[in-house]
Amino acid sequence: MVVRSVLSIPAPVLGTRAAPVGRVGEQEIALARDLVDTMRASPACVGLAAPQIGVSLRAFVVDVTGHKKARSCHGLVVMFDPEVMAASDPESAREGCMSVPDLTGDVERAAKVLLGGIGIDGRRLELEADAFEARALQHEIDHLDGLVFLDRVPGPANVYPRKVYR
Amino acid sequence: MPRFALSALGVDRPGIVAALSGALAERGCNLEDSTMTVLRGHFAVLLVLGAPEGETASSLEESLAGPAASFDLVVSVRPLADLGTAGSFGGPPPQAVPGTGRGETWTVSVHGADHPGIVHGIATAIADAGGNISDLSTHLVGEQSSPVYAMVMQVGFEAGAGSEALARVRIAAEDLGVSCHIRLHDPEVL
Repeated sequence: MVVRSVLSIPAPVLGTRAAPVGRVGEQEIALARDLVDTMRASPACVGLAAPQIGVSLRAFVVDVTGHKKARSCHGLVVMFDPEVMAASDPESAREGCMSVPDLTGDVERAAKVLLGGIGIDGRRLELEADAFEARALQHEIDHLDGLVFLDRVPGPANVYPRKVYR
Repeated sequence: MPRFALSALGVDRPGIVAALSGALAERGCNLEDSTMTVLRGHFAVLLVLGAPEGETASSLEESLAGPAASFDLVVSVRPLADLGTAGSFGGPPPQAVPGTGRGETWTVSVHGADHPGIVHGIATAIADAGGNISDLSTHLVGEQSSPVYAMVMQVGFEAGAGSEALARVRIAAEDLGVSCHIRLHDPEVL
């Protein structure tokens, strides 16, 4: 089990568009394993993208199992080269990020998404998600595009200190 | 690094932030937390900055005299004490603020026909219920003949205490004849 350290802004890799994986081999499977181990090491963490552990590749893991805000739940999702094929029902909610200390922000995201990408078995993977799982998936895909939630808030009044009330 | 609080106010026009921050950067100051916004045509700046050793409130005010004159700003700088050992301006150390441990954050939106006492009525209900207002903005809008007051605030409560406390806020809003919407924010770290 390898728990990698999670990088925070302003680490350059967090502001960089990550490179496609193309095909899933041993290295990509090892990367996914590190992402899962690192995600599991933080009890509140429901997702982690490769750039957050310093790897500029389009890979992420998400697991919203047991989360009170989850409706759809695919258990552990490992995805490479994800793309949002359809998105609808935008809604705003407050989120924070392991890579952005001390702040939260209100971010509008689609409450329903259809994603396509490559699964851990190297095959085409498509999944439909809604509510909290949809939010988590979009948050992780943002990391692959070099974006954190601060890049998505509608204005200065939508950023809040986290440490005070958590 | 000694900390100072700076406030500045003047009729809004382009270049105020650039001029103030330029004068501070020249002195080697580092802007930390700040809020800057337009209030009925006036640009209001309130910020906390770190300054090199040896700077004083008056030396910083002097360095801001240029921008203050150019933009007709009232600028004031006050030294801040280290909050670990003293109050903001050197008084006794601060008491723990209710709800600053593990707690919950609510957004309270209030709007209705403008009349004096809306902020006071709502804020008193919150304070009496043990809540702590961490952010608040208000706007007076609408026709002069029938002005509307709109207020949005973030309020912190101890974990689990918010629902009951905010029932008092709803009653206060009813008494004031304004509508009040309350939403719990439960941020998720993704």
